This record gives sequence, structure tokens and C-alpha cells, in this order.
Amino acid sequence: MVGPVLIVGAGVAGMTAAVELADAGVHTVLVERLSTVGGNALRLYKAFPTDDCFFCFEGNRWRPGIRKCFYRSALTDQPNIDLRVNTTVVDISGTPGSFTVRLRTEPTYVDPKKCILCGLCTTRSEAFKLSSPQCQPQTVSVDPTLLDDEARRVASECPTHAIDLDATPSEDTLVVSDIVIATGYHEFKPQGVQEYGYGEHPNIITQLELAEMLDPTGPSGGVLLRPSDGAPVERVMMVQCVGSRSVDHFPFCSKICCVFALKHANIIAQEHNGIRVDVVYMDIRTYDRHERYYRMARRAGVGFIRGRVSRVVPRDDGRLDVVIYDSLLDQYLQYEVDLFVLSSALEPSEGTAALISQLGLQDRSGFVAPVEDGSVDGVMAGDHVFVCGTALGPAEVPESVTQARAVVSRILQGGV
Amino acid sequence: MSEAGEHSTTPVTLVDPIDISTLDPHFRNEIRSMPNGDDLYACFACTTCTAACPIACQWTYKPHQLIRMILLGMRNEVLSSKEIWECLTCFQCQERCPQGVRVTDIIFDCKNLAAEEGLVPENILGLGRQLLESGQLYQVTADWEREDLGLEPEVPGLDPEPMKAILHGTRTGRLVGGGD
Ligand SMILES: Cc1cc2nc3c(=O)[nH]c(=O)nc-3n(C[C@H](O)[C@H](O)[C@H](O)COP(=O)(O)OP(=O)(O)OC[C@H]3O[C@@H](n4cnc5c(N)ncnc54)[C@H](O)[C@@H]3O)c2cc1C
Ligand code: SF4
Ligand code: SF4
Ligand code: SF4
Ligand code: SF4
Repeated sequence: MVGPVLIVGAGVAGMTAAVELADAGVHTVLVERLSTVGGNALRLYKAFPTDDCFFCFEGNRWRPGIRKCFYRSALTDQPNIDLRVNTTVVDISGTPGSFTVRLRTEPTYVDPKKCILCGLCTTRSEAFKLSSPQCQPQTVSVDPTLLDDEARRVASECPTHAIDLDATPSEDTLVVSDIVIATGYHEFKPQGVQEYGYGEHPNIITQLELAEMLDPTGPSGGVLLRPSDGAPVERVMMVQCVGSRSVDHFPFCSKICCVFALKHANIIAQEHNGIRVDVVYMDIRTYDRHERYYRMARRAGVGFIRGRVSRVVPRDDGRLDVVIYDSLLDQYLQYEVDLFVLSSALEPSEGTAALISQLGLQDRSGFVAPVEDGSVDGVMAGDHVFVCGTALGPAEVPESVTQARAVVSRILQGGV
Repeated sequence: MSEAGEHSTTPVTLVDPIDISTLDPHFRNEIRSMPNGDDLYACFACTTCTAACPIACQWTYKPHQLIRMILLGMRNEVLSSKEIWECLTCFQCQERCPQGVRVTDIIFDCKNLAAEEGLVPENILGLGRQLLESGQLYQVTADWEREDLGLEPEVPGLDPEPMKAILHGTRTGRLVGGGD
């Protein structure tokens, strides 16, 4: 008997696996640590390879079942999916085919079935916010550290009595036949890579932070402003391979950072008139069909400097002086930039290591390693244990989705 | 903020970087607007052109570096380089470039710009002057050469005068100073 299936992580990979298993009649328990599903893809604005907007949900809220959001609405509507947000796996025991899993759920405080998103709580108290316009479940989330008297007053005034601030954590124990690890990735915060000064100056940021700035539904409405003083950005410089391909940090190539850096460079060159973008690189690795982003960027006038950064020195006017060694010219170049964007490595999410050890799996640079059974799909991590998406290592959305479907196919064939 | 300065432990005084703000950001557009210059943007610095070039081994600036310097805006350095004039115009670089950059044509564009700014090297000007003065670059230097081959001393029908007259009215005439 197949099912129920436990899926850990509700990013693109976990959501795909959950919906497709559920549609095939398998009961799935989808566990997500945060208050919303979506994972890293929630904050990415436009997506390669189609350049569609990740935020389709906002504009198409009235329409159920459009392409990308289909999964997200299905997550709350499909009766075979038991979605548990704010939840983590505490402990796994039992045997393959019949695992016993203990889950812990932190309170969400707001009942998504009752909340009508009237906006009362979010306008009156900082403790309540809509984490993203396309969050699922579509409801406000609560930051328990900000709960004060005003928040409590607001809670009692909720027109649908959706808020219960006295909710407490709960635990649950389930028996599942298969486990799917879809815990994704975390963007490395490169404090440890000294020469770039990350964390020492507000105008030194990462690509994920830039994605948020470019997002039209984000805090600046998509306008690029210097974090230090809010002045408009005129010059952007990106640096590739920050933390990746380094024996001191991550020995692997993070694979997609060249593509998303160029995606961002093109968005800036095309949608933000007059902002100059330069990219410092060792190799541009826009694998297979993504080479077009590279050519497009060159056509748009993005500057490319093959070399490395010598030093970054903040100036009094809020800009940074950046000195680069250009290996093609064998010359040092000095640039003035407003925003210094680091294409930082993708590392395994926190908690992945614990799952690997609880289930006795192999790891590959910290990510879950597939078993070496010679199968081409590479999504089996152990007996009745599967892995998909960026929990396996850096990957784009289409690849994560394909892997999730391979997992579904394997489980439907009896978990082998 | 001050901490960010602290890790700049590179001996600052030894590195003398080119300040990008002193370069000419419009140079690339200038070249792109010239004949066959538009594909300049496509260069991804693969160095195929330099690998193909029969003479770049003797150059300070290799063909891929010249393209890079144009993209960066190093207008003075490119236009006053000796390399653009030493190019053999063999078109090897252009034939092989995987991105369709018309390297040889771009070098011609550079020579045209350099010429307008009076940056033609003296030896090239000398050739121009010779053309203007004699109407031809290669002259029969000794009668016996033709005699040995059983030819009459003068090349039959060769009259450089009309060529001289025409050249005087051309840009070559203007550039070498002998024209109108
Ligand atoms: C700047 C940037 C731009 C990008 N742009 C693109 C693009 O344009 N196109 C594209 O195809 N790809 C892009 N990507 C890649 C894309 O983000 C990933 O391919 C995709 O989000 C991976 O989905 P996932 O489900 O594997 O992982 P994630 O999105 O990381 O989802 C994992 C989920 O699991 C949850 N989780 C983690 N650990 C646990 C745990 N222990 N217990 C419970 N839950 C847990 C997390 O909270 C998260 O919700 C970009 C990446 C970056 C960094
Ligand atoms: S006041 Fe109640 S219904 Fe309105 S947004 Fe807040 S939780 Fe939702
Ligand atoms: S994808 Fe590009 S930036 Fe990322 S590690 Fe590989 S080469 Fe470096
Ligand atoms: S061969 Fe073409 S793409 Fe390669 S360096 Fe030369 S001009 Fe650039
Ligand atoms: S055309 Fe000039 S630059 Fe190109 S290969 Fe020939 S000599 Fe070298």
C-alpha cells in the first residue's frame, strides 16, 4: 500500500510532488517550516527560462488554476493534501515502508479559512503581515515577538474572529510509507568571504536581496534605491562565484547563479533606464539553453570584466570604490558603484543535515546524495526515501519540477 | 562603514588602477555605428581571434584585447596603437570569430577614426606620400630586371599621372597633406 507520503518542504519541488501524488489518489502530508508555501521562488520576480513573472498570483487572484498558481491553490483545496505550515519533523523511526514520524507545529494564530484579508490587523499592528502577495494559505502571518497590547486589541476586533493569540504549539505522530525530502536551498550569506565586505556596508548585497529590490510588489515598488541612504542607484556591479568553487567554502559550482545574475542584469538594463551594470566573472556558465541570457546581456550593453576584485572601499558619498584585476587586459580597473551585488553560493537548507542523519542517507557537499543504483533519474536517496529539487544541489525550477515528477512516478510504482 | 576599509590590506600604493570614469563610454557606440561595427557587442573574449592572427604574437595589444579596450572605452589607447596599423587585413580573426564579430572591419573602423584625428603613424603617411607623388607604390627600380626577362625597359601603357591627379582630391591626399 502506498501512502500516506510525507513531503518535507513546500517549495516548488515539494508542492509539485504533493499535488501530483494527491491527484493520483495518494494521501500526502506536506510539511513546511514557514507560514507559507513557495520557498525561495516566492521572492524572485521574473523567472528564467520564460521570463514570466513569479508573481502571477497577484494579477490573477480572481482566476483559479492558472499555470503556476494552480499548484498553490490546489494545495489548500485538494482533499488528499494535508498541508501543515509552521511545522518541522522532530523525529523519524520505524522501517522503510512504515516510518513513524513525529511533527511539531508552531501556532499560526490566524485561521486561514476564516481570514478574509480585510487588512484591519495588518494596517494597525506590525505583528500582522501578509508575507507575500502570493502566500499560500492566503492569510496574514503573525510575528509572535511583536505581540503587544495593541496587537491583542486588534485581534479581538477581527471581523471574522480568525485570530487566536492563545494558540499553542502542538505535536502529532504519523505513520507514512514513503518520505520525500524537498528541503531546498539557502543562499549563502558571504560574511566569511572577506574581500567583498558583505555585512559591513549596506550597499553590498546578494542576488536574492537584489531580486527583492527589483520586485514591483516589494518594499521599494521595484525601484532600485541605495540601502544606505535611499538615493537612486546609477551603477550596479555584480560579482560571480562568491563562495562557490572554493575549497574554503563550497567546492562546487552553484550552477544557476550565472543565469540569475544575467537575468537581473538584463532586467536592470531593459527596465531601469540608464543604470549601468558590470559583471565581474571567472567563467560565465550559462548552461545549455540559457546562453541566450549572456548574449542578450552583451547586446544590452552590460559590461563584463573577467577577473577578480582586489578591494572594495566605501566613500563618503555613499558609493563604493571597487578595484578589479582584469585578467584579459592584465590591468587593474577602478569603478565607482552604488550597489555591489554578490552572486553567492547556494547551500543546503538548515535542517537538511539532521534529516540526512536521521534517515542514514549519504550527503554530497551537504546536499542529499542519490543512491548509486545506476538509475537515470537520481531521485532515490534510500529505501522508500526520495529527494527532489534543490535539496539535491543547485537547480532551476524546471529541473526541480522534473525531479519531483520522477519521485511521484517512482512512488506510484511502489516506492522503488 | 570604517570596517569595510579595514580589509583593504592590498598595498594601495602599488596598484595604480585605470579609473573607469576617465575612459570614453561612448567609444563602443561610435564603433558600433561604423560600417560592420554593430556586432562588436557580441564579443565574449574567447580569444579565437588572437589564436588565428598571424602577427599578434608581436603585439602588445592582441586582437581580443583591442576589442575589449573598445568595449571599455579606451579610445586613446586604441586609436593611437601601432597594432591597428600593423594588421595584415588577412581576415583570419573575422572568419573564425564564433560570435560574428567583424574584427578586421572593426580595426578598419579604428584606422579611419585614427586617421581623422591625425594619428596615422609616420611610416604609413610615407606610403601615402609616395602614392601621391608617384601615383604608385611599387616602381620598377632597375632596368636589368625587365631586360633579364626579355622585356622592354618601360612598362607598356603605364601612366601614373591620372592616378596622382585623382589621389590629390581624395581623403588620402588630404591626410598626407599633399592634397587640396
Ligand atoms: C537569486 C535567485 C534567482 C533565481 N531565479 C530563478 C529563475 O529565474 N528561474 C528558475 O527556474 N530558478 C531560479 N532560481 C532557482 C529557484 O529558486 C529554485 O530552483 C527553486 O526555488 C527550488 O525549489 P525547491 O522546492 O527545490 O527549494 P526551495 O524553494 O528552497 O523550497 C524548500 C522549502 O522547504 C522548506 N524547508 C526547508 N527545510 C525544511 C525542514 N527541515 N522542514 C520543513 N520545511 C523545510 C523551506 O522553508 C522552503 O519552503 C533562482 C534562485 C536564486 C537564488
Ligand atoms: S483582521 Fe482578521 S480577517 Fe482581517 S486580515 Fe486580519 S486576520 Fe484576516
Ligand atoms: S554558476 Fe556561475 S557564478 Fe555560479 S558558481 Fe558557477 S560559474 Fe560561479
Ligand atoms: S574571436 Fe570574436 S568573440 Fe572571440 S575574442 Fe575575438 S572578437 Fe571576441
Ligand atoms: S586581419 Fe589583422 S588582426 Fe585579424 S588575424 Fe589578420 S592580421 Fe590579425
